[in-house]
Amino acid sequence: MFDFLIQGFGVALTPLNLGLAFLGALLGTLFGALPGIGPINGIAILMPLAYTLGLPAESALILLAGIYTGSEYGGRMSSILLNVPGDAGAVMTTLDGHPLAKKGLAGPALGLSAVSSFIGATVAIVGLTLFAPLLAVVAVKFGPAEFFALMIFAFASMSAMMGKDPLKTLIGAVLGVLISTVGVDSGTGVLRFTFDMPELYDGIDFVVMIIGLFAVSEILLMLEHAFRHDQDGEMAPVGRVMVKLSEVMFCKWAILRSSVIGFVIGVLPGTGASVASAVAYTTEKRISDRDNTFGTGDMRGLAAPEAANNASAAGSFVPMLTLGIPGSGTTAILLGALMLYNINPGPMMFREQPVVVGGLIASLYIGNVMLLLLNLPLAGVFARVLQVPRWILVPSVAILAFVGVYQLHSDLMAIYLMLVIGVFGYLLRKFGFSLAPVVLGFVLGGLMEENLRRALSISGGDVAILFQSGLSIGLWIAAALVVLVPMFAGKLKAKFLPAGK
Amino acid sequence: MKLAADRVLSLLLLGLAAFVAVQAWQLQVPFSYDPLGPKAVPLMLAGLLAILAVVLFVRPGASGEWPTGALLLRLVFTMAVLGFYAALFINLGFLVTTALVSIVIAWLFGATPLKAVVGGLLLALGSYLLFTYGLGISLPTGSWIEPLLGSD
Repeated sequence: MFDFLIQGFGVALTPLNLGLAFLGALLGTLFGALPGIGPINGIAILMPLAYTLGLPAESALILLAGIYTGSEYGGRMSSILLNVPGDAGAVMTTLDGHPLAKKGLAGPALGLSAVSSFIGATVAIVGLTLFAPLLAVVAVKFGPAEFFALMIFAFASMSAMMGKDPLKTLIGAVLGVLISTVGVDSGTGVLRFTFDMPELYDGIDFVVMIIGLFAVSEILLMLEHAFRHDQDGEMAPVGRVMVKLSEVMFCKWAILRSSVIGFVIGVLPGTGASVASAVAYTTEKRISDRDNTFGTGDMRGLAAPEAANNASAAGSFVPMLTLGIPGSGTTAILLGALMLYNINPGPMMFREQPVVVGGLIASLYIGNVMLLLLNLPLAGVFARVLQVPRWILVPSVAILAFVGVYQLHSDLMAIYLMLVIGVFGYLLRKFGFSLAPVVLGFVLGGLMEENLRRALSISGGDVAILFQSGLSIGLWIAAALVVLVPMFAGKLKAKFLPAGK
Repeated sequence: MKLAADRVLSLLLLGLAAFVAVQAWQLQVPFSYDPLGPKAVPLMLAGLLAILAVVLFVRPGASGEWPTGALLLRLVFTMAVLGFYAALFINLGFLVTTALVSIVIAWLFGATPLKAVVGGLLLALGSYLLFTYGLGISLPTGSWIEPLLGSD
């Protein structure tokens, strides 16, 4: 049953792939730590690099996965030292992380977060190894109708759990799906929304979309921040770098509980690190905050969200590798990267591409150890990345964006399209959208339409096929529950707990 | 009634939904093997988007802070600089455009003129060396430089 893992270690332990895992971990940590970049932007900016190097699919995926997990590590730096979360998943880290830094414990806080991240990720990778093959067995039973229901479930759980504004999450996902319909319709050859521009016949290119949406819009947002001078507070000195064993032991239950919570939430399609770290933090606060020390620099309050967000990062590989449904915005980018290699994500991937899947999982184990070894002693060095002045950082991001798109297309249209999408992304963010649902909609949109149409051609147009098997009915019910339960839970709470908390 | 940002957005989305619906409706489908065809999904999405836009109009959220005045001007200017970068990238070549654009952006982000010029030149040169020799990417050298080099 674990043949895939043994085979995977065979792939991941080749010198090239070991080197790439290390490079990914290093670049990921650096980019995650850059002010204002954060994990999802980091991976978006670095993605074209994997193609530039002309790597085979499994090696490219190993590099990208290294960047992904590395940037989750790097993202905590600005949260702890500057009180500026790099992305939504790191918000909870600031609550106790920054107070710790202010107490002069920045070094131990960074160390503790590296250890918690390591444990969280390890628990989740073991979970991934155990559950992914099981889920892959079930996944083979999926037909087009079940797939369509699964994607509806993914969008439902995303809109219910992600972001502060479910309505905008949903609108964002619809916009993403709409963008995915641009280009030649694969079923009939009809051109949709191409406006007689040949460049659009193949649809909007994934790399152009991602770089425009994240990197270009980030440039504009950074300009705003710089103009308003509303961040870059005093950076706390790092001080003692090593965390004491007693400090880790003090947090051990918080770490373990949060790892499990993070993994489970990561597995749910559409929900990622931000939900996981929030649930872990509030759970831990409820269980162990007896003296009201959470929020004032309690180590457990730092360990819990850190373990959870790394566990969810690894957990979100489960639906991605077994069902082809990304568990988070970042895995949606990874999935899009796979599709560029003509690997069709889906239930057969586990069986048809054991080298890719096994190599990826094995490299997660290896990368995780590398990250711990990099991050524990070198926290002080990485922290210095935070002080890179913006007037160097921003032109660098622009250069990476331009070269990334240019070397894929050697075409000016693609660059202009990237700039237009960048303005679109900036406006979305100003309107309070998070970009992850848009990416998820964009990546899943094509698959969703294809499966719906395939299901209905099997049934000759009878919609009943969508609700026939037990699996699809279960998924429809689950989708309804995910949306309805939080709505009613809010009302019930208001009813039984009037006034106060 | 104060015009909330979300209400403007809602109207824009309604317009988009109508546009998508009209475009999808006008698609000429010669023959389709599946009962839905290429029109159905865009039409459904347009419908869903319209419903969501109406809900947004009825229940708009906070408007947030929108750029005005000098900041807006800077944002537009930045986009213009990036557009200029794109337009001249191939003809003028990577080195020259990157240096120019980096200098301007660095200056926009508050570097002193001296720092901006030195930083921009170093960034252009450094990234050129990294991409060309480190990663083996061929970047445009610029059409003006070729006659100077006397290359064929």
